[in-house]
Amino acid sequence: MKRRSFLKGLLAFLGTTTLVSFVYPIFRYLAPPAGTETSKTVVIAKRDIPLGDAREIVFNNVPAIVLNRPGKGLIAVSRVCTHLGCLVQYDAANMRLVCPCHAGIYDLEGNIVSGPPPKPLPKLPLRVEGETIVIG
Amino acid sequence: MWERIKNWLEVRIGLDDLVRSQVTDYRVPKNINIFYTLGFVAAIGYLIQVLSGIMLLIHYVPHPDHAFKSVQDIMLKVPFGWLFRQMHVVGSNLMIAAIGLHMLTVFLMGNYKRPRELTWVGGALLLLVTIAFGFSGYLLPWTQLSYWATTVVTSIPTAVPVVGDVVARVLRGGDQVTGTTLSRFFAFHVSVLPPLFLILAGMHVFLIKRIGISATPFGLPAEEKRPWTEYHKKSHADGYPYYPRFFQMDMLMVMVYLALMFFLITVAPNLFFPEEATVPADPFRTPPHVHPEWYLLAPYQMLRIIPNKFLGIIIQLALFLLFLLWPFFDTEKEKNIMKRPMLRVLFLFAFVLWVILMFWGGY
Repeated sequence: MKRRSFLKGLLAFLGTTTLVSFVYPIFRYLAPPAGTETSKTVVIAKRDIPLGDAREIVFNNVPAIVLNRPGKGLIAVSRVCTHLGCLVQYDAANMRLVCPCHAGIYDLEGNIVSGPPPKPLPKLPLRVEGETIVIG
Repeated sequence: MWERIKNWLEVRIGLDDLVRSQVTDYRVPKNINIFYTLGFVAAIGYLIQVLSGIMLLIHYVPHPDHAFKSVQDIMLKVPFGWLFRQMHVVGSNLMIAAIGLHMLTVFLMGNYKRPRELTWVGGALLLLVTIAFGFSGYLLPWTQLSYWATTVVTSIPTAVPVVGDVVARVLRGGDQVTGTTLSRFFAFHVSVLPPLFLILAGMHVFLIKRIGISATPFGLPAEEKRPWTEYHKKSHADGYPYYPRFFQMDMLMVMVYLALMFFLITVAPNLFFPEEATVPADPFRTPPHVHPEWYLLAPYQMLRIIPNKFLGIIIQLALFLLFLLWPFFDTEKEKNIMKRPMLRVLFLFAFVLWVILMFWGGY
């Protein structure tokens, strides 16, 4: 091997090694941090959600809503619209959940009524223990 | 694939001609030395500051309630945050050192002389902007040291009658250093100074290319002593090609710069972090021994020993103007400092005085 070729190869190796050695630190630095520990359950008093009313909560860092439906009981669903991620709002007068961004409409079970959402709203596990509602 | 990209560019922008005229056929003087690489090293230093600065921006919060914690999180929690912060802090000091050394060697080789006066002025302004980068960035971690050093330095203009208080208030955005000052310094650091630096650096490079690189005054006939009545580009037709010969010298010095940076990060990680730089800013307690970074110690000490503050500022302003406009004061045609005993004595006096003031200011 000629000296010039050797030096060129050595320079290329050292340069590449230097650049590559920064790839992992940059990737780790930019990677989103691991999610912070949140409580596995959210507890609400039953009396805080009268019949026909709703209460917005945050469950595992995700905005959600607990609804007290007349004749159908309590349910908790995610508020994150499955279309483009806006937060749905409870329309008590029409008994439905409405996305303000692109007029996606869900019923109170989270099923799609109309509009662009591709999937129903995810339901959250909910149980009633005496006078309290436990989500999660 | 590579050939196709080259051909695509060749047809559109004349790539071969560009590379030939700017790199392989671009000639540098035969007696060029290693010190000519310092400008390139400073440019790479700036690039490192920009890249590491962008990384820090992702996690830094410029608010007095969060700035200190966000910087601590970068150092302790964010993966490899310490690496980018250390590169930014050590890099800022090395970059100022590289520009300072560049100007020192340009001075000693007389390369500021006709027709390169504007190149010198541009370089001196670049040094000023780089120091402004260092000074404005110093406050951002919102530590005791940064808070009180900024309080001290922004108090300096108050010695100037009539306008001094107004200048200090504008700098701080109020009577004291507060969150407003932090916002101002942050905006200045990330959005005002970078384009200013790029404009000045662009002008600096343009002038170097337009006028041609100056040969050293050692070992060559002083051909620039001829009468100067018209524009004349110095092309060094008998010189060495920039690539690969001088480019190798450039890259060698860049490696020395990087090696020094990582040596300091590894061996002396606390060199630029004294104890007060790890304590959050407390506007109600001044720590002992507040002083600015090493590059501002000499002017800081000069202000402390001159009994009249206003006189001190006037002297410093005069010295800065002398430094900035030096090529217009020194009109002697001889470039070689070895043949100019008076200039040699003057330089040695100024240099020794600077070093003494710098060490004195640190105590």
